[in-house]
Amino acid sequence: MTNMLYRPNRRALLRGTAAAGAAALMGTLPGRLMAQDAPAKPAEIIVRAWGGSWVEALKKGVSDPFTAATGIQVRHDLTEDNEIQPKVWAAVAQGRVPPIHINWDTTTNATKSALRGVTEDLSDLSNLAGTTDLAKPVGLDGYPIVNTYGYVYVLAYRPEAFPDGAPTSWKAMLDPKFRGRIALYNDGIGFHFPAQVAGGGKLEDIPANMQAAWDFIAQVKEQQPLLGEDPDFTAWFQNGEIDLACTISTNAREAKKNGVDLAWTVPEEGAKFDTDGLWIPKGLPENELYWAKEYINFAISKDAQQVWCDGLGLPGVVPGLTPPADLVDDPSYPDTPEEMSHLIRISTKVQVENESEWFGKFKEIMQG
Amino acid sequence: MSEPGPKQDFRYPLHWRLMDGVERLADIVWPRSMARHTGWLFIAPALLLVGLLVLGLVQIADSSLRVLDTATFLPSEDWSLTNYEKALGTKVYLTVAWRSVSAAALTTVLTLILAFAYAYALVRVRKAWIRKALLITLFLPFFIGQVVRAYGWLIILGNSGMVNEALGLIGVAPMRLLFNYGAVIFGLVQYMLPFAVLLLVPALTAIPEETETAAGSLGASWPRIFWHVLLPMAKPGLIGAGLVVFTLTLTDFAVPAMLGGGSQDFIANAIYDQFFRTADQGLGAALALMLVAAGSILVGLVFMVFGAGTLAMGGRK
Repeated sequence: MTNMLYRPNRRALLRGTAAAGAAALMGTLPGRLMAQDAPAKPAEIIVRAWGGSWVEALKKGVSDPFTAATGIQVRHDLTEDNEIQPKVWAAVAQGRVPPIHINWDTTTNATKSALRGVTEDLSDLSNLAGTTDLAKPVGLDGYPIVNTYGYVYVLAYRPEAFPDGAPTSWKAMLDPKFRGRIALYNDGIGFHFPAQVAGGGKLEDIPANMQAAWDFIAQVKEQQPLLGEDPDFTAWFQNGEIDLACTISTNAREAKKNGVDLAWTVPEEGAKFDTDGLWIPKGLPENELYWAKEYINFAISKDAQQVWCDGLGLPGVVPGLTPPADLVDDPSYPDTPEEMSHLIRISTKVQVENESEWFGKFKEIMQG
Repeated sequence: MSEPGPKQDFRYPLHWRLMDGVERLADIVWPRSMARHTGWLFIAPALLLVGLLVLGLVQIADSSLRVLDTATFLPSEDWSLTNYEKALGTKVYLTVAWRSVSAAALTTVLTLILAFAYAYALVRVRKAWIRKALLITLFLPFFIGQVVRAYGWLIILGNSGMVNEALGLIGVAPMRLLFNYGAVIFGLVQYMLPFAVLLLVPALTAIPEETETAAGSLGASWPRIFWHVLLPMAKPGLIGAGLVVFTLTLTDFAVPAMLGGGSQDFIANAIYDQFFRTADQGLGAALALMLVAAGSILVGLVFMVFGAGTLAMGGRK
C-alpha cells in the first residue's frame, strides 16, 4: 500500500536526508571535530564502495550527510574490493599515498589487510562506545577494521518454481527439475558452510574435515550450476535463467524491488552470516587520516546506521535500530538471538587462513 | 648565347629556410657521423617498451618464487619452487590449462576456415559495394569491443533471448545456449574472425587471379585449384593468422568469464583469481609465467615447423 502514500522525488528525498543527517552528524560529532584546532579539511575523501543499491545506501546514509556537515566531498570509487586490495598493498609497501581514504570491504578481506599491517588503528573512534560486539573484529588487536553490519547468504528462489511454498533445505538444489537452473558465487563463498551441514557434516569440523561439504558441492555440480558475481544473479533471475541461488539477501531484495519475482529463505541447515567493515590504509597525510576517521566515526553513529542499513536491508552494529518494514521478522535480518541461532558464523581467522584452499577446492570441483 | 646567370631578385622560399633550420638542428642533435645508427634511433622507443615489459616479467618471476604466508599475508623472504609445484600438482590448474590450449587450437581451426572463405570473397568479389558491405559487416563488431560483444551474445542467446524466442515461434521449447564450452568457442571465433581476415587478405591479394585461371584452363577442378594452388600460396597468411588467433585465444579472459557461466575458466581466469580473489600473487605469478612459457614454446614450434608466415615480413623463417 505504500504506493498510495505521498512519495517525495529522489532529489527532494536526498536533500531532506542529507539535511537531517547533517543535523544528526552535528549532534554526534565529538567536540574535537568542531574544535578550532581540527586539521585542515581535504577537498574530498575517496571511499571505495560496491555499486548499485550498495553505494546508493552509503551515499544516502553516510556520505551526503557527512558532506553537508563538513563541506568535504565524498567520492565513491567503485573498483571491486578484490581489485583495490593489491593496489593499496603496493602503495603502502612503496611508501606512496594510497589510492583511497577508506575501504568498504568484507571483514575477511579487510582482515587480510590488517594482518599484512596496512591498516590504521581505529580504536580512538568515540562512537565505538555505542556499538555492539559485532563491530569488533574477532581475533585482531584493537580496531584495524570497524565492522558496520552483518549479512546473510540466503537461498533466493523464484516463487513460481515452488508452488508448494518456500524450499526448506539447500538440498532443493539437487532436484533434477532445477538442473542448469541454480546459481552460486564463482568461488563458492557463502555456500561452503551450509553445504557442510547439508552434506551430513558438522560445523565443528570446519576447517579440519570438510569432506561433507565437498561431497555435497560435487552433487550440486552435477546439476550444472551457473557461477557468477552479484550482478549476474540479478540478470539471471530477471532473464529466467535460474530458479535458485545462494546470494546475499541485499541483492535478492534489490532484485525484488526492481520487479523480479523473487523470495528468499534461510533453510533448515542454516545460512552463512558474515560482516562487512570500513578501514583506512596507512600512508595518508595526517589531516586526511583525521577526516577519514571522522567519516567512519559518523558511519557507526545511530542516525547514519539507521539510514545506511535501511538501504541495505541489513542489521547494523548499533543497538535499537528499526528494521525496514519489509524485513520485520525476516530471517535475513537477524536482530534477535533466536534468529541468529539459525545462522552459521565461522570465525574470521579460520576463514582468512583457509579461504584460499576452499576457493581452490570449490574451483576444482566446478571446473572438473 | 651566354648561360643565363642566377636571378639577382630570387628569394629563398620560407619553407626552404625552415627545412635548412631543421637540418641544422638535426645535425646538432644527431650528427651525420651517427647516421649509421639512425635505424637504432627509430627502434629505440619500441626497445624501451619491450625492456619495460621484460622488467615486469623479471618482477613477476621474483614474485612467483615467493610463497604467501597466510598468517601475515606477506610473501616469503626466501625463494622456492613451491608455487610451481602447486600449479603443476593441482588438478584444477591442469584442467583449465588443457581447456585453454585445446580451445585455442579449436578456435584457430574454426576461425581460419571461416576467415579464409570471407577473405577470399573480399579479395575476389568484383562489385565494390559488395566488398564494402563485407568490410562493414566484418569491422562493425570489431569496433564494439570484446566485453560489449560478449554481453550482446548474452542478450541474443539467453533463455529469453532472440534465438530462443524465434525457436519458440516454431514450437521449440527454450534451451540453454549459453554458459557452456560451445558458447565460449562460438564467442571466441566471432571475436577472432576480423583479426584472421585482416591477416589473410594481404596473402590472398598477392595470389594473382590468373594463377587460378591457368590451373582451371589446364583442367583442374575448383577443389583441386583450392588444394594445390590457393592453399599452398596462402600458407604464409594462414600461419600468421593462426599464430595471432591462437595466442590471443590462449590468453583470453573475458569470453570464458562471460559466456562460460563460471565453469569454463581459461588459465587467465585462474591467474585473475589468484591475484585478486585469494591475494596469492606468488601463485598467480607462477601461473602467468607458465602461460607465457607455454605460449612461447607452442609458437616457437610452429615457427620451426612451418615458418612465421606473413609475420616473418619476407624472411624465410
